Amino acid sequence: MDFSLPESAQAVQRGVADICSHYDMAYWERCEAGKRWPEEVWEDLAKGGWLGLAVPEEYGGAGQGLLELAVATETLSASGSAGGSAFTYVLTPGFGAMTLARHGTPEQKAALLPGLATGELETCFALTEPDAGSNSLAISTFAREDGSDFVVNGQKIWITGVQRATWMLLVTRTIPAAEARPRTNGMTVFLVNVPEAVAAGQLSYRPIPKMGANTTPSNMVFIDDLRVPATNVLGELHGGATVLWDVLNPERILLGASALGGAEVALRAGVDYAKQREVFGRPIGSNQAIAFPLAQVKAKIELARLMLYKAAWSFDNGLPCGTEANIAKLTASQAAWEAADAAFQTHGGMAYSLEYPVARLLTDARIGKIAPVTEELLLNYLATQVLGLPRSF
Amino acid sequence: MNIVVCVKQVPDTATERKLRSDDKTLDRDAADGVVNELDEYAVEEALRLKEAHGGEVTVLSMGPAKATETIRKALAMGADKAVHLSDDALRGSDALSTSYALAETLKKIGFDLVILGSESTDARTGVLAAMLAERLGTPQLTLANKVEVDGSAIAIQRVTDYGYDKVEASLPAVVSVVEKINEPRYPSFKGIMAAKKKPVETLAIGDAEISADQVGLASAWSEVVDFAAAPPRAAGTVVKDEGDGGVKAAEFLASKKFV
Repeated sequence: MDFSLPESAQAVQRGVADICSHYDMAYWERCEAGKRWPEEVWEDLAKGGWLGLAVPEEYGGAGQGLLELAVATETLSASGSAGGSAFTYVLTPGFGAMTLARHGTPEQKAALLPGLATGELETCFALTEPDAGSNSLAISTFAREDGSDFVVNGQKIWITGVQRATWMLLVTRTIPAAEARPRTNGMTVFLVNVPEAVAAGQLSYRPIPKMGANTTPSNMVFIDDLRVPATNVLGELHGGATVLWDVLNPERILLGASALGGAEVALRAGVDYAKQREVFGRPIGSNQAIAFPLAQVKAKIELARLMLYKAAWSFDNGLPCGTEANIAKLTASQAAWEAADAAFQTHGGMAYSLEYPVARLLTDARIGKIAPVTEELLLNYLATQVLGLPRSF
Repeated sequence: MNIVVCVKQVPDTATERKLRSDDKTLDRDAADGVVNELDEYAVEEALRLKEAHGGEVTVLSMGPAKATETIRKALAMGADKAVHLSDDALRGSDALSTSYALAETLKKIGFDLVILGSESTDARTGVLAAMLAERLGTPQLTLANKVEVDGSAIAIQRVTDYGYDKVEASLPAVVSVVEKINEPRYPSFKGIMAAKKKPVETLAIGDAEISADQVGLASAWSEVVDFAAAPPRAAGTVVKDEGDGGVKAAEFLASKKFV
């Protein structure tokens, strides 16, 4: 068994770290405080071809896979952006490029992939609804066939990045949930041109004020008689669930990678402070009450990373990766939260001052325990799907 | 056009840099090695000239085995091949002996144009380009914020306190560049992957016909006699304006001979 990262992933680590070295913690804090997209980093990543890592070479990308995307996400996050940068890789290279590359028709690929590779086109993904979050098969946004078009009506929530997106991957029901057999049947994913839909008054959105991850707004989305041509179905009509798994598993892996990077940033902040800060004539890090939580976090980060890379590798090799992706997401988010908490505790009273980064890291880390899926749902998956325990719901 | 870019690995300016207590040379193990920032502008300019006029860009670096990382970065940016001059005998060389070693190597590998960053962030002597030109018997065009090549003619804008001088010469020549000249590209994914396969020739001093008695610490013309940590910055003077602030400010400037 070979645990070394492939050369391609090592190249990603080096290249992305090189760009990130020009952007310090203060840069990311300014983005978060000013609620602004990290435009400069985005442009640098685009110029070097780092956004098109998972786009096939014939469409102008680097022809790599989810492992390379995950390593890029982790490197960006570990450079100091922590959770704030997650959407940089999740929205367009993840939701857009990876999914199009797997499920797009030749026409869809030719139209979108070159732009997604350069960052000229951007995407967002709309699944969650006010009454269908954890139970995503219960969505009610409905697409009715009308000639060569579909007409969509419904409402979505927590849709991140609509403001910048040229295309939305919109998940609908084409057979109502109550009539679908099996329950996964009758879902259809559409490619929706966002600016056109907004201009036609068929799609509108409203940002939700949120406690962190403010580099990218998350929105309520309202869909009124949205007309989408049948040629914009991504994957099979009624067969959207297949596309969905290939969106949701990479999403877990990429957000897990972002959490891992965030855990590294927090651990570094905690360790640095524990080395510098002297109380009673010695650095506080020489006290085991301070040192052990940090050491514990180190162990958890390394364990989560192994599972994360395994999950990405499984996905790239066409192997089932649901269990791995869920375990990776669960453990990476827990590592991030515990790292932020340990760093926070290590800073003592100063942790509460916004002049230190740990408060932001704590806020960033908390989201990992509830999004894109709650810790409880991940545990439920392991309990029922892996251990065969009876369902409670 | 055969362009050679001289690239130096220096300790990361973001980390604490140290001198060794035994022989007072730079402690290269104490900090991460990175490409001297100004050399990235030199590589970028070489690549732009190649893109405009054709030819080949060779990276030349003198340094320990560790400098390979720096060479790979220049190759990842797009340079075609590299020559790594690496020999224990070179350790501790000062600017004069470094210019000798690099000049001998340049004579061996051949060049139409040599491009350097105008100084390194570690030693900061800023004299290497001039020394190299003298040893190679070529024109020196230093501190360039613009370079134009037309056939065998080369012209630069040399940055000065009052603006710039226009300096013209003919190839072969040695050029040093300042950071205003361009914006260095980041290595791309394809660039990093391709760099692994590009040829890097490692030369010892014998290979480049460099005599051991003209390089290294023992042959250096300059000597570090002693060193000490920079003293902490003293507290500034606070002048409270009680109606006479202007006078006090003028007196302060006069005392420092500014006015």
